[in-house]
Amino acid sequence: MSDKYDYWLHHLPGVGERTIRKLLAVFSKPEEIYERLISPGAGKAERQKEFEGILTGKQKEALAACTKSWSLEEEYEKLAEMGIQFLTFQDLMYPQRLKEIPDPPFGLYVRGNLPKENVLSVAVIGARECSEYGRFVGQELGKTLGEKGVQVISGMARGIDGISQAAALDAGGISFGVLGCGVDICYPSQNKRLYERLLTQGGILSPYIPGTMPKAPLFPPRNRIVSGLADALIVVEARQKSGTLITVDMALEQGREVYVVPGRLTDRLSDGCNRLIKQGAGILLSPEDFLTEMSDNFPDKFVLCSENSSGKTNYEPFSMSKEERIIYDSLDLTPKAVNQICIDSQTKLSYLQVQQILIRFCLIGAAKQPVPGFYAAVHPPQK
Amino acid sequence: MFCTIYSGGLDGIGAYLVQVEVDISTGLPGFGMVGSLSGEVREARERVQVALRNAGFDLPPMKITVNLAPAHIRKEGTAYDLPIAIGMLAAMGYFDKTALNNVLFAGELGLDGEIKPVRGIFPIVQEAGKSGMKCCIVSQQNAREGALAGDMDVRGAENINQVVDFLQESNEKRDWILPRVVETVGATREQLQEESLDFADVCGQEGAKRAAEIAAAGFHNLLMVGQPGAGKSMIAKRIPGIMPPLTRKESMEVSAVYSVAGLLKDSQPLVTKRPFQSPHHTVTMAALTGGSGVPRPGIMSLAHRGVLFLDELPEFSRATLDCMRQPLEDREVHLAKAYGNVTYPADFMLVCAMNPCVCGYYPDRNRCRCTEGSIRKYLGRVSGPVLDRIDLCVEILPVNITKLRQPKGESSAAIRERVMKARRRQEERFCGTACHFNGDMKTAEIERYCSLGPAEQKVMEKAYETMRFSARGYHRILRVARTIADLAGEEQIREEHLLEAVCYRAGDRIYWGGGDRI
Repeated sequence: MSDKYDYWLHHLPGVGERTIRKLLAVFSKPEEIYERLISPGAGKAERQKEFEGILTGKQKEALAACTKSWSLEEEYEKLAEMGIQFLTFQDLMYPQRLKEIPDPPFGLYVRGNLPKENVLSVAVIGARECSEYGRFVGQELGKTLGEKGVQVISGMARGIDGISQAAALDAGGISFGVLGCGVDICYPSQNKRLYERLLTQGGILSPYIPGTMPKAPLFPPRNRIVSGLADALIVVEARQKSGTLITVDMALEQGREVYVVPGRLTDRLSDGCNRLIKQGAGILLSPEDFLTEMSDNFPDKFVLCSENSSGKTNYEPFSMSKEERIIYDSLDLTPKAVNQICIDSQTKLSYLQVQQILIRFCLIGAAKQPVPGFYAAVHPPQK
Repeated sequence: MFCTIYSGGLDGIGAYLVQVEVDISTGLPGFGMVGSLSGEVREARERVQVALRNAGFDLPPMKITVNLAPAHIRKEGTAYDLPIAIGMLAAMGYFDKTALNNVLFAGELGLDGEIKPVRGIFPIVQEAGKSGMKCCIVSQQNAREGALAGDMDVRGAENINQVVDFLQESNEKRDWILPRVVETVGATREQLQEESLDFADVCGQEGAKRAAEIAAAGFHNLLMVGQPGAGKSMIAKRIPGIMPPLTRKESMEVSAVYSVAGLLKDSQPLVTKRPFQSPHHTVTMAALTGGSGVPRPGIMSLAHRGVLFLDELPEFSRATLDCMRQPLEDREVHLAKAYGNVTYPADFMLVCAMNPCVCGYYPDRNRCRCTEGSIRKYLGRVSGPVLDRIDLCVEILPVNITKLRQPKGESSAAIRERVMKARRRQEERFCGTACHFNGDMKTAEIERYCSLGPAEQKVMEKAYETMRFSARGYHRILRVARTIADLAGEEQIREEHLLEAVCYRAGDRIYWGGGDRI
């Protein structure tokens, strides 16, 4: 079980993962390091020697000063008051999956629950500024995984991350968000609702001490944890150059399986995905297909907990006139402008008539207007 | 030796009569002017003295006092030069004072006695007519403008000597010296120019053109959102051309505004074309409202009865946009200045254009990489209360290359024909009420004139559920649906009219609805 000394060691400014590892190689416990830093007992020269090769004299002075202003008990109690659990990699509770990856993070802060070890967990990641297609696939994936009780791990970011997590929660599933800031901070703030739901229906994890503000360099280590906590990784949408691909590299390093949602050649948001497929990543054909493969690969972790849904989305049939049918059939998941629909459907209807049919579809929920003036189908065309 | 002459001062786009009282009496020689005068009126002293001398009139070494009554109103401008000079000559006995009965003078003097034009002649002459004046003597360049006022006998003079000769002559010979000016209104070059901006030039863009038609028919304010180069400005510039031509009354109003602003042309004094104003987004509040040191009609008033086009709406400062809120509501600009309050008319149709995001290409995600946050921030720059006054919101999509090669679209004249029909229906409907157009309808009128049948009510409820618009949005849809029904020539708002109206507000929730999308 981690203690106040662990927390003290983790909070020290300028002491990163690597230094902690080196220190722990010399001293057996953080408590010992604390004593050595603070106690005036032994001779100066001797103390200097102990930290040689790890800390410079100046660093040590600074740390000692910092240590003196840190009240061990109080700060540790504050953590508990905030409902934050602190784990180090020596803890038994520390996620087993993370222990397996190279250089697991020393400390992990948790609000809510930890992912279960014996349940399959899948990371769903993708672009923040996603397309309607990505939004749809993210939702479907989140929903199916959530229904099957698979733990959805992601970064709670805008776009694909948040969409798939929210969909999993909506389907009654569990999901975990790994943050690039302190667990007490909701970033991005527009995902406040998701953040609060994750606290009860899953958990929020972070390798950074509470109160850490989000900064760009903090995110790649966070991505490492996203892939580390998962058994497999799904990339929904990624541009050629994207943070998502960094996560994929890390997942491969950690020996995780990577699945990719294929996209069209003309969609810049699928360039990264298609390239991954070329490099040999698994192709995700449907959420069900993916789950079948998973049940083969991880038979022990596969618990079908809530088989409450019929599995397939229900298409509500509604009566359509001949013209309406033509317009409906020319709709796609990708939003199209009205004049585009006029051209695609090759109808003789006027612009205004087409627009009226479309808005009627919107009102009965057969189509939607994700962007003003652009109409998209709610479901992909039926087979 | 005392004499009273009539002249006029400006108050908003109206005018009031000013009595110029000149007294020449014995005493220490000098020239004093009183009557709440501003700087340029005070300068008249020097101009009048020198102009009279150079015109060949000797000033006696006596005490000259000039008073501009009513003395409590602050006098602006240079129109008092001529009446002061004439008053002095009358007081000196150059002509019979009865010649000055019911004659109004307004004009600036040059040092050689030349009479120069001043702004605001049109409302001054109008006011003179109302107050029972018989004749107005103004600068030659102002004469046609003055003649717009109608029955008034307006004479244009080039210099002060002509005026003196005129006043010295008996009635019959007068007309030889300063002939009466009569304004004839006919087709001019400007009207021909207007026709060169035709909607037929706009290829494709059926949706936007239709929205422009509805906006023109119901006097609704319009917002166009679209990529750069899609044709937003092109469409906006053609909107005045599909509005009904100015009526004689409207023409007079607009001419009065332009007269006060000093923008009427000698060649074309009557404004017959609907104004189109498109200020740059760096425009100041003062330029927009008309409130700098000396009040003059601002851009909002210059767009009176026409179109005020704001391109790149989010680039306008929030304060600038917010100062349009009250004029959009009252159709007038009220300026409170140090020396008093001025009201200018500002009944314009607001047409705005904007990009959907900073780069301009949203929702084309292949080109636009703006984050949702930055898009929302960009849209958020547009003040909500101004958005509330905009009934129609339409997306302008880039034109397909095949459309550019298509034959020309419908001409402005054809669209105007439909617009005028719809306007006539509105005139009948709102006869005797405060409303003029569907765009003016408030809650009470909407309830009265936009009743829905059970089927339409159902559509509205459905739309209310799916689109989640506000009560205000509900009223906007009904207003627009009313105009669409008017365009279709129907008394009852039908389902298809409602559905089309819904299209023009469907963007609200997505653009300005906040963060319900993750």
